[in-house]
Amino acid sequence: MNQIIQVSNLNKSFGDNHVLRDISFEVDRGDVVAIIGSSGSGKSTLLRCLIDLEKADGGTVCMEDKALFKDGQYGSPAEIRAIIAKMGMVFQHFNLFPNLSVRKNLELAPKVVRKEDPRTIGERCEKYLGKVGLLDKIDAMPGTLSGGEKQRVAIARALMMNPDILLFDEPTSALDPELTGEVLTVMQELAEEHMTMVVVTHEMGFARSAANKILFMDGGIILEEGSPEDIFVHPKNERTRTFLQSITRKE
Amino acid sequence: MDYFVSVLVPMIGGLGVTLSVFAITLIASIPLGFAFTLMARSRIGVVKGFAEVYIYILRGTPLLLQLLFVYFGLPLIPGIGAALTFDRFPAACIAFGLNYAAYFAEIFRGGLLAIDKGQYEAAKVLGLTKGQTMLRVVIPQMIRVCLPSVTNETITLLKDTALVTVIGVSEVLHYAKAAVNRDANTFAFLVAAGVYLVVNFVITLIFKKLEQKYNF
Repeated sequence: MNQIIQVSNLNKSFGDNHVLRDISFEVDRGDVVAIIGSSGSGKSTLLRCLIDLEKADGGTVCMEDKALFKDGQYGSPAEIRAIIAKMGMVFQHFNLFPNLSVRKNLELAPKVVRKEDPRTIGERCEKYLGKVGLLDKIDAMPGTLSGGEKQRVAIARALMMNPDILLFDEPTSALDPELTGEVLTVMQELAEEHMTMVVVTHEMGFARSAANKILFMDGGIILEEGSPEDIFVHPKNERTRTFLQSITRKE
Repeated sequence: MDYFVSVLVPMIGGLGVTLSVFAITLIASIPLGFAFTLMARSRIGVVKGFAEVYIYILRGTPLLLQLLFVYFGLPLIPGIGAALTFDRFPAACIAFGLNYAAYFAEIFRGGLLAIDKGQYEAAKVLGLTKGQTMLRVVIPQMIRVCLPSVTNETITLLKDTALVTVIGVSEVLHYAKAAVNRDANTFAFLVAAGVYLVVNFVITLIFKKLEQKYNF
């Protein structure tokens, strides 16, 4: 079974604002999917619907053959929990718990949700902090870290739950260019290790080099979908072309 | 000096009563206040409405009036009045506990409003239940936000305990007034002021330490 997420005819409105219109796409195991598009195109809302931070109005989202919702109908809270437990999420504004040290941020969920053995939790904590290069910050409080360090801790925290898929919601948009690099490096490494990832991003360089599938969203629909080469070198749609031109001009 | 000691000694006895009302009120009203905070956020209309009306009434009427009502008014209610007849000291604690719960409820409500929505979202995607999120993530952050206001309210509470003298509970101010009337000398009021200041000094120190502990 290669398919990990299947989205069909997903619809979502905020009041009169129809944010997502009949969105359909698939994510295969090991895919790195980059969702690009201008602000307000529905990228973040789409990502948030996948992990139940927003309720969809209609359509179907399946995760490994289990439906998060089917034709707009959600399962029981327990079913929803079981499905989103297999996903990890990294937020634009990190959302570390400021009252807990770096170590406790990482260990909280394995401890209280999974009730794992403290020793295995501790080992995993050190492994993932080492992976993001922050083992020396294990006892630091989040308030003392830079933005880039916070985001790397947030990635390590998501990895602690051994997710089958990681969702990133503009993970570098709150960072200055210098700090952006250290976060993208970590994400690039995860991609090379075949972590399945869906990344909403404005970093075209990252999308081009790390992703194998690009979704270009505009006005609540997926306007164009394809490999980085398809989208960046041979965009079919005029709107895709103007968007990419405006982005590259800025860079 | 002898006069100072003769005024102070009965006041120290009264201080025991003052501190008892103070401590019982604090211990009862903080959890009760937090319960009202949660009720006021409830999605169940009746629960939310009850909490809001409670807070409105208890904040909207004088504490002195509430104190008199609990001691003199409740026993007069037909039918259940007999069950609601309290001695002076318990009546004082009940009135203070109910009143301060309403104020603490509003302080905690403000503290919860200050917590970023992203904290709840991060907890949710990590699989924490609502209860775990409250206990491990939200409440510690709420405490930090609320501490300055809680300090303020606690200092006010100590001073408010002077009101219980109107239903005949013999606390610090009661003995000060007794000495002033007996000796026709207002010096005892100064001594009483000193007693309140010393206790509030200690309270302020304790809360400073707490604020340092919650300074993350």
